[in-house]
Amino acid sequence: MDFTDRTVIVTGGTKGIGKAVALAFAHQGARVAVIYGSDDQGAADMQAELETTASLFLVLKGDIASPSAVDKMIGEVLQEWKRVDVLVNNAGIVRDKMLMFQSMEDWDRVLDVNLKGTYLCSKAVIKQMVANRFGRIINMVSPSGITGRAGQTNYAASKGAVIAFTKSLAREVARIGIGVNCVCPGVIATPMTDKLDPDNLEDLRRMIPMGRVGTPQEVADAVLFLASDRAAYITGQVLVVDGGLI
Amino acid sequence: MRRKLETIVSDTKELRSFLKRMIVETLKLEDITAEDIDGDTPLFREGLGLDSIDALELVVAVEKHFDVIIEDENVGKEAFASVNVLAGFIQTEYKGFSKNGMRFAG
Repeated sequence: MDFTDRTVIVTGGTKGIGKAVALAFAHQGARVAVIYGSDDQGAADMQAELETTASLFLVLKGDIASPSAVDKMIGEVLQEWKRVDVLVNNAGIVRDKMLMFQSMEDWDRVLDVNLKGTYLCSKAVIKQMVANRFGRIINMVSPSGITGRAGQTNYAASKGAVIAFTKSLAREVARIGIGVNCVCPGVIATPMTDKLDPDNLEDLRRMIPMGRVGTPQEVADAVLFLASDRAAYITGQVLVVDGGLI
Repeated sequence: MRRKLETIVSDTKELRSFLKRMIVETLKLEDITAEDIDGDTPLFREGLGLDSIDALELVVAVEKHFDVIIEDENVGKEAFASVNVLAGFIQTEYKGFSKNGMRFAG
């Protein structure tokens, strides 16, 4: 899959799945803009890795839940490269607690980053995608947003809403040549899963029919497929990459 | 370029012709030409038969050609009632003619 002359934005692109996605696009020739919220060390590491590729790139810091920050960051990308072909709404946070212990602040922040952030970034690029009559928006969701998960009412609600958002936007812009889809990773080996208790991780692994956790590269492969011309007739879908978990 | 644009905007007949061509080209209409479009015919539903997805592309085209931003859907619906109404809307909102230089934002 060749992404030469394509401009790609990946939010939450300095670690884990987002980093793998951004690097995969860079290795396929895309111009890549990585957006991150607070992880300056991760951003520096990512910048060093992007410099080893032949890709043009930008690393931008800002809060995707802030309309002014999103307008500023997307504006920088458009100023630099004049267009955005692919947006990967990957940035997301968890603040897991059972509902009876969950604060309003935790509810709001998870919904703000995961749902409002997806809305703001998509809105910031959609007009020029309509003008170009081309675009791909790929939203990262979660099995929690499909099946639900105890302790994740806020996160699951945000991801379920992103799936509904995806299906609706897909119908709005399908005729104009813009594809909007979700990728739904299951249990993937990332810094987030590294923090899990080994026993919990083993329990999770046993639940996966393929008997192993996935890799960020396997998720990136799915994202690149949906962003490519080979997925030209696919929109409004959720591509689950979970080893058969759900 | 700016002078040419101002000439088009200030000449109602030329502006209406431009908009008819813009509609046909933007929406890649195949069974209708610019000359077939009557200036007073409604663009949507029973008129030309355009729909809300066509409107997205027309809003972007108007912004691209005339630097007139339509951010309010209801304003857009009124502005796109017909070619003649749209021409009047652009003549009112076109930045080059605006007294205070503000662009319309709904």
